[in-house]
Amino acid sequence: MLRHRAKLVGQINALLMFLPYLVLLVMFAIVPIVMAFQVSIGPSRLSPEGGIGNYMFVFQDFRFLSAVGNVALFLVIYLPAMLIVVAGLSLLLDTIKMKYTLPLRLAYLVPAGISGSVAILVWYFMLEPTYSPFAGIFAEFGITEGVEIFNTSNLVYIFALMAFFTGAGNWIVIQYGSLQSIPDEILEAARMDGANVFQMAFLIKLPLIRKYLVYMLILVFAAGLQIFVEPYLISSSVYPGLAKDWSLNQLSYTLAFLGSNLGAAMALSMVMLLVSVVVALIIIYRTDFFDEARLKVKDKK
Amino acid sequence: MSTHSTDQKQISKVSPKTSTLVRARGYSAKAAAWLVMILFAVFSIIPMLWLVLAPSKTQVELQRDAPLSFGSFQGYRNAWENLNVFQDGRIVDWIINSIWYTGVQVLVACAVAILAGYALAATRLPFRKTMLIVTLVAMIVPQVAFVLPLFVEISALGLYNTAWAIILPGSFYPFGVFLSYIYFSSTIPAELYDAARIDGSGDWGIFFRVALPLAGGLIGMLAFFSFQVNWINFFLPFVVVSSGDVLTLPVGLGILFSSTPALSPQVGANALPIRAPEIALAGMIVAIPILIVFLASARLLVRGVLAGSVKS
Repeated sequence: MLRHRAKLVGQINALLMFLPYLVLLVMFAIVPIVMAFQVSIGPSRLSPEGGIGNYMFVFQDFRFLSAVGNVALFLVIYLPAMLIVVAGLSLLLDTIKMKYTLPLRLAYLVPAGISGSVAILVWYFMLEPTYSPFAGIFAEFGITEGVEIFNTSNLVYIFALMAFFTGAGNWIVIQYGSLQSIPDEILEAARMDGANVFQMAFLIKLPLIRKYLVYMLILVFAAGLQIFVEPYLISSSVYPGLAKDWSLNQLSYTLAFLGSNLGAAMALSMVMLLVSVVVALIIIYRTDFFDEARLKVKDKK
Repeated sequence: MSTHSTDQKQISKVSPKTSTLVRARGYSAKAAAWLVMILFAVFSIIPMLWLVLAPSKTQVELQRDAPLSFGSFQGYRNAWENLNVFQDGRIVDWIINSIWYTGVQVLVACAVAILAGYALAATRLPFRKTMLIVTLVAMIVPQVAFVLPLFVEISALGLYNTAWAIILPGSFYPFGVFLSYIYFSSTIPAELYDAARIDGSGDWGIFFRVALPLAGGLIGMLAFFSFQVNWINFFLPFVVVSSGDVLTLPVGLGILFSSTPALSPQVGANALPIRAPEIALAGMIVAIPILIVFLASARLLVRGVLAGSVKS
């Protein structure tokens, strides 16, 4: 009887501790999804009956396919660049003795300060030959005018460059951190077996941090899918309309606030959210990232 | 062991000529490695260096002088005064808003995340597994994905165009809950909680007297990530707030892009004294706090955010 009561008190206290987070979770993740879903299947100007009309409208919109293409190409450039550079440089850093690389690691963290709207600002000046410290390099390629760089066919590379520089440095440092967690015995054993630096890096260390690299790619993919601020700001200032409705989130924004078609905007948001949730579920159930976290919960029970 | 010593014998048999060759190759590989690492470091620093130096110069100097040259300290003062011409010192509102919104977000997000993580890790919370899975999903889905759906709810609640429309959603921090769950369930040994329980501490007593005093490193990490995300957030404030006096610095910077001649020559060159040095100063004000926080937390990042938290 007494034990039963203690258990109940324990559960109530646990709930009280969890409650503030639960409220935020319900308010700012679950309710918005439910409401947005209702709007997406509710009646709208284009689909008075409701149902899947808004979804069909989005899929048939000519801007949708081109935005999908843009974002896909962006990811195809950005993800491999991240993987190669982050894996390569973190392995290099790890191969060289730690105390000498501190200034390098700090330098790699510097671009993290240049993200979001600041990234557009800075990269605009970096790529505009009139201002750029790299003007000499551009001149070598015969580029002297900003319009030669800022044009529709280059946009995807420009956005990939911005995204790459914002994130690569701190991921290098994070993956370098993962490399530090490899037990010394493993590395010592490999060294005893006569492995050289390259074999150590590619056959021993790389496979051991592989899952962290995959995890990085998945997070980077999920965030890259949502790209908005870069194309939006470029289009609303320096080069008006240059990247109009370039990304999926831009299209969703345009539908909601400029096309006053909230239903279609929410339909598009729902589709993008669904992709992210599916990716999340794959990581949780199809990879072993969170196995330990999940096992711990089972242990308790 | 025996194979090892034979290996050594074989190595010693290699002629001196080849061993020099091998060593020379080793040196050049090392030099190439350093070159790559240093080049990447240089490319990492140049944009920030430019941003910090740009406001020291005038518009003319910016276009005429070497890109990475320094103008004068007076340049920063002039740029600041010019920046203040925009909507009667609106920039000051944005700075103040950004500071207090982010401050509240970091405080609330950390407090909520620590409590929830502890509840998941060390108590008899009902539906623990479900809650953990939901948290993992919410953590992997980027926050940007929730923004447009949030707009519908924010409007319905009457929060549109208020500070709370930015602060409250920004305090929802599933990654922080996950980090603190991992911390309380692996870094702190379970025996410690049990010992406190045997000593007669209640659930809250254990949290405040055992878990919280040991959570210093965790709090640093939580504050670092929530600051980084919220200080720079663009899409959320951009969608849920419209008037200038409620906006934040990153969105304000976007407004400067489109409504001053700095980046939009079509606005009219004489309309406002806001040109490249002024907008660079505004950008610098956004970037420097993040830079400082990142450099100060470099050790946290190296200690293995992933290795520590997502360990297999």
